[in-house]
Amino acid sequence: MTTEQTIRSLDDPDLFVETPGTIYDAIPPLPPRTEREAEFYTMRDGEMLINLGPQHPSTHGVLRVVLKIDGERVVDLDPVLGYLHRGVEKICENGDWHHAISNCDPLEYIAAMFSEAMPVMVAEKLLDLEVPHRAEYIRVLAWELNRISSHALFVGWLALDLGGLTPILYGFIERDEIVEMLAALTGQRLLFNYLRIGGVNGDLNHDFLSRLGDWMGNALKRIEEQQKLLNSNEIFVARTRGLGVIDRDMARRTLLSGPVLRATGIPYDVRRAHPYSVYPELEFTIPTREEGDSYARYLLHLDEIKQSIHIIDQVLHRMPDGPVMAKVPRLMRIPPGRAYVSVESPRGQYSAYGMSDGSDQPFRLRIHDPSFFNLQAVGLLMPGNLVADTMAIMASLDPIMGGIDK
Amino acid sequence: MGIGRSAISVPPFPSASEPQPSQRSSATDTALKRRLQERLGPQLLGAVTARQDTTEIRIGPTDVARVMTLLHDDPEFRFLILSDLCGVDTGSVMQVVYHLWSDATPDWLRVIVDGLPRDDPRAPSVTFLWNGAEWAEREAYDMFGIIFEGNRDLRRIYMPPDYQSFPLRKDFLLADDAARSPGQGVRHMEQTFQPAEYRRTEVLRQGLGSDAGQMAPGLQTAELASGEDPAR
Repeated sequence: MTTEQTIRSLDDPDLFVETPGTIYDAIPPLPPRTEREAEFYTMRDGEMLINLGPQHPSTHGVLRVVLKIDGERVVDLDPVLGYLHRGVEKICENGDWHHAISNCDPLEYIAAMFSEAMPVMVAEKLLDLEVPHRAEYIRVLAWELNRISSHALFVGWLALDLGGLTPILYGFIERDEIVEMLAALTGQRLLFNYLRIGGVNGDLNHDFLSRLGDWMGNALKRIEEQQKLLNSNEIFVARTRGLGVIDRDMARRTLLSGPVLRATGIPYDVRRAHPYSVYPELEFTIPTREEGDSYARYLLHLDEIKQSIHIIDQVLHRMPDGPVMAKVPRLMRIPPGRAYVSVESPRGQYSAYGMSDGSDQPFRLRIHDPSFFNLQAVGLLMPGNLVADTMAIMASLDPIMGGIDK
Repeated sequence: MGIGRSAISVPPFPSASEPQPSQRSSATDTALKRRLQERLGPQLLGAVTARQDTTEIRIGPTDVARVMTLLHDDPEFRFLILSDLCGVDTGSVMQVVYHLWSDATPDWLRVIVDGLPRDDPRAPSVTFLWNGAEWAEREAYDMFGIIFEGNRDLRRIYMPPDYQSFPLRKDFLLADDAARSPGQGVRHMEQTFQPAEYRRTEVLRQGLGSDAGQMAPGLQTAELASGEDPAR
């Protein structure tokens, strides 16, 4: 491949002015830059390209996908990323470690408690810092609440992309209660900025606990109601069962993680595979399914919500007393070294690799987002399916563009 | 402030099978360290190191395919899951860093492909083992310009196709950055950070004026007093 060759940006408006024909003529960048691109843009009889996104409501953000279709069937596709790229890793390198917390927040904006944990846990590992026990329990509480709010929205989204409008309303009821609860705890509804190097920003308060108590009383009952709404819905089941099947070995080789991987039968969950925080002290199971299709992914999300409620129950009963912050200076230089941390986010393994050169700024902070890798599976799952089913497949992978584009 | 059982009423949770908490510990796995040293001895650059829950090895770019295949296929190692793949610019060389997970050890294994020259960094692709590494390698190419030989779709993934620079390289400085002025020069992982007070006194001691922005590059190249390389 040649890097020196100047290729005009597809965003360049002059390209369309100078190029005779329609906008679709400009989709294949010429000449092809790689072997794969040449293969994709070689058209056979009856095939055509259509452009999906980047401003399509069912792409869950600003994802653009070039679909190669033959009639109603998708033959191949080429996802185009980068519409939301902000260069978070570079920004983190140029601010100090505390700035990195709020910079990493909007990566996984549906469950920000996980992405903001990354710089915090890397810095703690480099400092060899022991976080107070109570702070760890509060973190687990916040993580699991955030996981439920994210999963509740997933179920609604999946149904919405299949044309069912009701479940997302129920999903948002659930999510709104949790988000308000976390707002009482952290002061923010979505981008919490709650975790700190050495603990959390504040102790549990009465407002949070009373909201949590009200919600916990009905949570399981409401999940079961939601289950009844969709599990026995003939259209929903017909459109998700057997769709987007991925087998076990391929899932592992495609670096999938989270519910997408566990729906194929691999019980890989970082909370058990490489325990962190206080998860070794808690009892919970890792639900798995064997089918590996969209329906299995949906059922797995419901099972995980139940496990999260189980964890929250234990955390509340075992919550120890004590401080919520370790004694750390406000301005600190992190000792030189390298550290790798990993947590299980609602979408899979969220991990970070941090390097410090002894200054107060990260030398390098690599954020590994599970959505980025899970989205790769669309290239394997979509070919051969109907165009209308691409939405169901994409929604069942649950991508969040904030983390994918970084 | 503990939370009493009376404060919150929770319905009993229906759990079919009570699982046992994991028995894995976060201590360093010395057996893994020994096995790696035995099996990969000639290919390793330096000794196997371990800190906290991570075991680390360094290899050269020519050994990537052989070492990764061994780690993946060998029943002793079984590193089946590639947790992460990323590029790193240490300021003087490029690296590709892999993090692997195996059910045979409680440790993460970090494989650092070290010593890629900054003007032409090339490393073999691992897409023959994990096809999902394709996008991670595209990202490393986009951000650092590392060319992965064998990746069949190595083009930019975030930046536009006509973009010429590699943004995460250490010599790519942000123009509007208030925290670090371009005059401070490039940060090197091999050289520890000199506090601002030290720089200021150095400048005064050498009688070279007070423009710290111009002076800093020369001062930053000063070697560590102990001679120890923190990146190692």
